Amino acid sequence: MTKILFSDKLDNCVERWKSAGLTVIGPVQRANISTYAAVEHAAELDFGLVLPDRSIKDLFFPQSEPMLRYTIKKESIDTDECLPPSGPRIIFGARPCDASGMAIDDPLFGWDYKDEYWFQRRNETVIVTIACTKADDFCMCTSLKMAPDSTKGSDIMLRPLAGNKGWLVEELTDRGREAFKTIADILQESSDPAAPLAVVEKKFDLDACVAWLQNPENFESRFWKEISMRCIGCASCTYLCPTCHCFDIQDEGDTYTGIRRKNWDSCSFALFTMHTSGHNPRSTQSARWRQRIMHKFNYFPGKFSVNSCSGCGRCSRQCPVDMGITETLQEISKLSL
Amino acid sequence: MKIVGRHDEAPGVRTMKLEFQDPADHEIFKETFRTGMFGLYGVYGEGESTFCVASPETRKDYIECTFRQSGRVTSALVNADIGDLITFRGPYGNRFPIEEFHGKNLLFVSGGIALPPTRSVIWSCLDQREKFGKVTIVYGARSVADLVYKHELEEWQERSDVDLVLTVDPGGESPDWKNRVGFVPTVLEEAAPSPDNCIAVICGPPIMIKFTLISLKKLGFDESNVYTTLENRMKCGLGKCGRCNVGSVYVCKEGPVFTAAEVSLMPAGDL
Repeated sequence: MTKILFSDKLDNCVERWKSAGLTVIGPVQRANISTYAAVEHAAELDFGLVLPDRSIKDLFFPQSEPMLRYTIKKESIDTDECLPPSGPRIIFGARPCDASGMAIDDPLFGWDYKDEYWFQRRNETVIVTIACTKADDFCMCTSLKMAPDSTKGSDIMLRPLAGNKGWLVEELTDRGREAFKTIADILQESSDPAAPLAVVEKKFDLDACVAWLQNPENFESRFWKEISMRCIGCASCTYLCPTCHCFDIQDEGDTYTGIRRKNWDSCSFALFTMHTSGHNPRSTQSARWRQRIMHKFNYFPGKFSVNSCSGCGRCSRQCPVDMGITETLQEISKLSL
Repeated sequence: MKIVGRHDEAPGVRTMKLEFQDPADHEIFKETFRTGMFGLYGVYGEGESTFCVASPETRKDYIECTFRQSGRVTSALVNADIGDLITFRGPYGNRFPIEEFHGKNLLFVSGGIALPPTRSVIWSCLDQREKFGKVTIVYGARSVADLVYKHELEEWQERSDVDLVLTVDPGGESPDWKNRVGFVPTVLEEAAPSPDNCIAVICGPPIMIKFTLISLKKLGFDESNVYTTLENRMKCGLGKCGRCNVGSVYVCKEGPVFTAAEVSLMPAGDL
């Protein structure tokens, strides 16, 4: 017997969590974009999406975040550190690729200097993931050795029942168990089977790709020029990526008061690495695309023993010129045959 | 940090002497700073810039930094007066392992605005001169005016325990210039310092480093005895913002100091 959360009881759960002080966040349609946002009622949640346009990264690593406020006085400078707005949250309806994306970035934000902005939000957020019963042509979790029901990074895993009636509940962490205690009486016992998982076709041979990338001879391969010819350097792929973590630090303000901010940045931009002298180590778009692929599948795993990609496919899905990790690794798979 | 001294080294190049405001911060600096490390210097409202600490590890009562005015932050730093406050984050990165240089001859090769990081090592060694063998410094700039630390160059020129070879690029000499004319790698080959028991420290623009490495190889230097610093664009200095890497190597954490042997393993197309 497994516990089941029926869809028609979800609004009760949202109410319970809200009264317990949790902010309830889930997949929603806002204007022309699907994203994760705070909701008041279960009816606002959209579970029909394969994957929202934006990932849950935004909830842990916002596009722009104040780090400190300063006031310049005559004899001194007052500074106030801006810690992230705290408060417990529950993300209801993350996807396995997004949830694992957050776990992938934990070692990056945690090694050496511990990024308190990231970890305060991580520690205060319960991630309730819904396994995928639908996929589109861009989904590629299986190519990354993950699955439509991978539990990495999730506190609770929900497996949909046939006919959108509800979800089978699997509690994975103490944080998840704690949040589900508040709705314990709403859950029901049942032996209903889960709906079949989405079938996600394997698109490339990851091991072969990694071996090709690790071969120093391929750093200067003509392949990089050919594959990135179309890239317009718009950075959509990096911004929508759940694991891309590069940032810039900028001041914004007037002469006497202002804010130092941490903003998303992207390896797609020429300015990202440009020296003051004008010298640019990655002066071409192909060098920049090579950096993105190498970082995700060679450098990052070299440091943290995990690929910096969870297979969500947003980079290909949203690319204005039809490039992306899938296409690149498919081509590399062919090269390494 | 409070600006307690300023000096214009060359057109557009300024040195600032900074004192800590918080004794606790100063203690941390004294405990952690070693020559070769860098910091992020900032002006609120303008941002932060990365440069080396140009003062040596043997003088930790203050920080000196030398920079060329070129962008928003460095312009704000140039406009700052004595007594003004600026920010410093650091020291970050690794260092020149100078205790491993004890008993050895030292060759410093530097070009233009890259003398500041070299100078930190030079003074760190000269302040304990007895621990090292022969000290040779080869330094060049585009023109006579572009040479930085002119007073210290004079001082090194006068010292009997330092061999200083000064040069300016062809066309950069003034009528009363009595030193060499020629590019640093060429002048280095003419000076022909012996590679025996010698450590070379080279800092300069990428093009100078490239040709100086070739010259040192010709002179018989082993790549593992040649040290350099890589100066990539950085934002965090903490191994997270993702831009300073050369191949898999993060310059902010694993550098900025590398041996030529380490650099030769990095993908040249990322330098």
